[in-house]
Amino acid sequence: MPPPLPSALRLSEVICRYGKQLVVDHVALDLAPGEHLAITGTNGSGKSTLLRAVLGLHRAAGGVIEVAGRRARSSAEWARRRSEVAWVPQRQAAGRFPLLVRELLASSRHTGEATRAAQELGVGELLERPLSELSGGQLQRAYLARALGQVAAGAGLLLADEPTAALDFDGQEQVAAVLAGLPVGVVVVTHDRVVAGACDRVAEMAAGRLREAG
Amino acid sequence: MNDIAVLMELPSVRLAVLALLLGSVGLPIVGVFIVGLDIMPVRFAMMHVALLGIAIGLLIGLDPLLCALVLCALTGGALTPMARSTTGLSGAMGLLMTLAIAAALLLLSISGVNANGAFELLWGSILATRPEEVIALAALAVIVPLLFWSRRRDLALLLHDRELALCSGVAVERLTLILLVVIAVAIASAIRLTGALLVDALTLLPALAARRVGRSLAAMIRWSVIFGLAFNVGGFFLALAFDFPPGPTLVLVGGVCTLLLHAIPSTAFHPGRVLH
Repeated sequence: MPPPLPSALRLSEVICRYGKQLVVDHVALDLAPGEHLAITGTNGSGKSTLLRAVLGLHRAAGGVIEVAGRRARSSAEWARRRSEVAWVPQRQAAGRFPLLVRELLASSRHTGEATRAAQELGVGELLERPLSELSGGQLQRAYLARALGQVAAGAGLLLADEPTAALDFDGQEQVAAVLAGLPVGVVVVTHDRVVAGACDRVAEMAAGRLREAG
Repeated sequence: MNDIAVLMELPSVRLAVLALLLGSVGLPIVGVFIVGLDIMPVRFAMMHVALLGIAIGLLIGLDPLLCALVLCALTGGALTPMARSTTGLSGAMGLLMTLAIAAALLLLSISGVNANGAFELLWGSILATRPEEVIALAALAVIVPLLFWSRRRDLALLLHDRELALCSGVAVERLTLILLVVIAVAIASAIRLTGALLVDALTLLPALAARRVGRSLAAMIRWSVIFGLAFNVGGFFLALAFDFPPGPTLVLVGGVCTLLLHAIPSTAFHPGRVLH
């Protein structure tokens, strides 16, 4: 019998602080491969910090974070971690310096799939346009297309931080459908009922603590 | 008005033109890196560090300018971890400036050297260009474009957004270190060559003008070199023709052209641009 696949994401007693302020408080989570989890909660409850800690963009003050059964300690391990995790940030950088949509998609390491996803999401005609000239919704779609390219390149986990915040109703439904069809583990921070409803589980974060909802 | 053809027969003028042509390749690209990393005070910081290097050289009896160059390179490298902080590098530049000038003055006092003599080493002149300085500019004219071309994808991501670069597999720390060392060495070389005033004309002004016109990093790099050539050669010949001092003339030509470019609506450069 083959050994069971490791969790797409496992968090144990994870703590994050900004200075002395505790923003993520002993969070535990186990996400099976291919499982989709929505995290809801009020602003400032620690949702974004938790996702950023998985990528090492915010260093956790304590606890264990494993992606596909692996922890990250050295620079090389963090680089590997970031190649295993697709990422849709909350505040997509419109940039103090120009970056073309084409260049953003190429950073996914699977330009073909990212470009195909961009076509599907309605930003495929904007490849030669700088990100600074996109609307909030277009920027969000371009970043999602990049994340889909990362998944095609082998990322086994997708983290999305409010990926539909700047989208209209049709856009929200489209993104919810795209996320729901992904065969990899997904953790999506959202206030969007459609997106949350399409996930296997919903958890709520309040004052840094994560608990399963409903 | 002077006869340019006659002046061009002077070896010092020919060497100056060659230096400006070579400087117009590497230094504007360095300017793009400076603007991209948001470290425009770096020129002031490196001037002060260069002075400290000169002071160290005078104290221990080594070539002061070589000491300045090496210290600038080391300082550029040492600043790399600061790029991680939320406040970026600008705060570090201010601190560096203050500490470097204080240390330089202290060392100059200990070594018994007249501070004015050390300061004079920083005020170069384009018409006093020496062959070894042309060689340094030629090296920069090769190394800097090569650095850009070989790392253009990573540079575009890093200069756009550090976190995006991190999440795209870019070796952010190493690339920032390389950029800061190249910037520090380029500025230290250019300060000696042209004087502190002219460094902006060679680096920042072409980059600021290029940012107005270019829509991608590659386009900005191309435009910065074009503007660098136009500002520097145009300004220099204007100075020769009317017997103006070259440094301020170059800066004014570059500055006025950059201002004019910013006065033109951006839609004139990018007709297809959609505003949201």
